[in-house]
Amino acid sequence: MSSDERTGLYVESTIIMTTVRVVAPFVLTFALFVMFHGANSPGGGFQGGVIAGSVVMMLAFAYGIDAAREWLDVRVVAALASGGVLTFAAIGLGTIVLGGNFLEYHLYEQFISHVVAYAIELVELAIGGIVASVAIGLFFLLAAGFGHAVDAPEDES
Amino acid sequence: MFELLNSHYNYFAVMLLLGIGLYMLIESRNLVKKVIGMNIFQTGIFLFFITLAFRTGGNPPIIKEGGGPYVSPLPHVLILTAIVVGVSLTAVALALIIRIYTEYGTLDEDKLKQLYYD
Amino acid sequence: MTLSLIEGLLLVFVLGCAIGAAVLRDVLASLMAFAAYSLGISIIWVMLEAPDVGLTEAAVGAGIMTILFILALANTVRPQENGLFESLSVRTVVLVGAFVVVMVATVPSLPAIGADGAANPVVSGEVTQHYIDNAYADTEVKNAVTAVLAAYRGFDTLGEAVVVFSAGVAALTVLRQEVFA
Repeated sequence: MSSDERTGLYVESTIIMTTVRVVAPFVLTFALFVMFHGANSPGGGFQGGVIAGSVVMMLAFAYGIDAAREWLDVRVVAALASGGVLTFAAIGLGTIVLGGNFLEYHLYEQFISHVVAYAIELVELAIGGIVASVAIGLFFLLAAGFGHAVDAPEDES
Repeated sequence: MFELLNSHYNYFAVMLLLGIGLYMLIESRNLVKKVIGMNIFQTGIFLFFITLAFRTGGNPPIIKEGGGPYVSPLPHVLILTAIVVGVSLTAVALALIIRIYTEYGTLDEDKLKQLYYD
Repeated sequence: MTLSLIEGLLLVFVLGCAIGAAVLRDVLASLMAFAAYSLGISIIWVMLEAPDVGLTEAAVGAGIMTILFILALANTVRPQENGLFESLSVRTVVLVGAFVVVMVATVPSLPAIGADGAANPVVSGEVTQHYIDNAYADTEVKNAVTAVLAAYRGFDTLGEAVVVFSAGVAALTVLRQEVFA
């Protein structure tokens, strides 16, 4: 599909733009609430991450996918995804370094008290980062489709 | 039979959902509809797990003083992660579908078969 | 537990949407039926006391999944076909019907919905009891689902997180892009 047809995906609508402008901060707050409060109420990293990702999708629907793509820094998305995996793995492997099993949070107790709750919170945040950034990334990828890569030579057939 | 339906209704729904998903996977010629069928099949299995975790009069597994009895948290965790993995799977399938469309110009299974063997 | 009116209506709605997704000829209509189906089933999760799963299903199934499908349709083709419904293939219906009959034959041996005690080993099993009894003492987390997710089954969850990450990488590779945006 050619690029001029693709821009036809976007229809500018004052109603949608105004609604999104009002609703988006609340949705993001709700996402963060779900992520941080997952320890004591329903919620957690997976749910919060998906809701946070949907904020960017809302903005993209209201202001156009290309505008949202320019506004969003790719490096932040990539850093969230890989940083999340690395944080999770580091927390897990850290306890092995301290002589325990994988993710045996109690071993961190010697440094910080009540560390188990904090460590679980951090793991949830890492999961939230991975899920949110991958959801955003997949959204932009599928919106772009195939064939808009940087001078990708089509040598195979 | 009616007794059984009254006490096991969700399991009948599970089996029907599995059937509908399987039918879409076999019979739909459009690849996108096949992916939708795969998702319906998946959700049928989720319903099976969550139904097994349920107990009458149980509360959601959020531990508080005198809050019990609770439903089992373990199937919830398994299904929670399975849903998120399911959407990743769907996204990769859709990426492959977009790729197939750019290569062959169609998403119809029969036409794809013809194009492939020609 | 016996079938209450609201559960019966929800199950009828969900099964109706699933059948609609299967027989509607237009892909976009089928997709909309699937979105309604996801929303219905997320209410069923809440009825079955699984709010975590319901939250995820409502955000993922009805939200993100539908958006991804629509984007895929926008980038490919939506065949214009006449007729509202697909014609049913008798051969496939017989095959799937046989599958459903075999599966339904296993239903009487399953525990009744809502059973506890010895009748339902999932609810009364040792593993579940251990999680519920020790989750707060072990992890200082009140939500047992989070405790199991991040502590007891943390290794599993790391695997799931890596699967999600690799799905992003796989989509990048398939679509030959170098950056996400």
